[in-house]
Amino acid sequence: MAVTKEILTLAVEIADALLRNGSEIYRVEDTVMHILDAYEIEDYDVYVLSNGIFASANENKEDACSMIRHVPLGKTHLGRIAALNQLSREICSHDCSLVDSWVRLDECKNIPEEKTGVQVFFCGLGSAGFCYLFGGQPLDAFLAFLIGLLLQLFLIAAKKRSSSNFIVNIFGSGIVTILSLLALSAGLPILQDKVVIGAIMPLVPGIALTTSIRDFFNGDYLSGTIHIIDALLTSFSIAVGVGAIITIYQLLTGGVLLP
Amino acid sequence: MILQFIISMIATLSFAVLFNAPTKQLFFCGLTGAFGWIVYLVCLNYGMSVAPACLIATFVLTIMSRVLSAVRKNPVTMFLIPGIFPLVPGAGIYYTAYYLIMGEMSEFSAKGVETFLIAGAIALGIVFGFSIPQAVFNTLKKEDHTH
Repeated sequence: MAVTKEILTLAVEIADALLRNGSEIYRVEDTVMHILDAYEIEDYDVYVLSNGIFASANENKEDACSMIRHVPLGKTHLGRIAALNQLSREICSHDCSLVDSWVRLDECKNIPEEKTGVQVFFCGLGSAGFCYLFGGQPLDAFLAFLIGLLLQLFLIAAKKRSSSNFIVNIFGSGIVTILSLLALSAGLPILQDKVVIGAIMPLVPGIALTTSIRDFFNGDYLSGTIHIIDALLTSFSIAVGVGAIITIYQLLTGGVLLP
Repeated sequence: MILQFIISMIATLSFAVLFNAPTKQLFFCGLTGAFGWIVYLVCLNYGMSVAPACLIATFVLTIMSRVLSAVRKNPVTMFLIPGIFPLVPGAGIYYTAYYLIMGEMSEFSAKGVETFLIAGAIALGIVFGFSIPQAVFNTLKKEDHTH
């Protein structure tokens, strides 16, 4: 029987990786509890927030131990969540020994992100698709595709410099709006609003909204609040970026109304 | 309608790639998004307003994500997050900002309220979708599951 500390460390490390890659709170807590249960540790407490993990085990015994992790809000990586979920299942059914688990955990953490080129292409494709769905014409969708490509390049560059999320969203939506207005000014027969709506979709806080609702549903009100505020602030940032550029455009063109 | 289905599938699938979903699951992520979008369009066709249509569409796609999650043995998040994107009120954010800048206050407040209503409808749709007991979906799993 392995010692409490080793098991708790493993459980918390897996929880850390899950949370970092955008899992909802309930799944993270559940994973830790299942692993501890599987190794017959009965006296434990786990408390998980959107950006922190607190766990203790066997507080009243000789080998008492507790752990705290700070986990910054990260980018969602669905592949890693799925792999970690599978790993925790195997640990719980004892199909995977403790030693193997550490190796597997490292593998899960290091599942690579999609290559830059792939990300850029699919960002463009997604933007074009949404532009068309929201009422754009094929020409608008094509333009949204090009703008989507540039937006993702900007997002990747911004991520390397680890700028604040507000700045990234304001500038991201600003760039989208500038490009669409440039195309409009160049005389292309486009529906400028549809192009912008399609191309800002990669910025729109769909994940934060969904995660927040699920946290609320599971009774994790504090984490739900953190995510809903994230979603609101992201929306405001996008609005500010779009609004600022349209204001400038109006000043430059002397108050011509957009179609 | 078929074109809308295909395009919404491509759009959702593209976003699933951005969230690093495994290649094997991409098709199903796309399928979830496409179904949600088609349900939304059908509801609008029957004369519903935007918010109830979003609620029903989100409800359907939440259930679909849970079914897929059981059948494909993957977390619900995998299908729910990409699938919800076509319904997220990105357009609402844009028009709200636009009317504010243009100083059209009545349009601005109408769009602002609508955006919040859509977000609320999505929330309710997800909540209703998750209120169905997990046991119902567990019967869909193949029998080799372990716990």
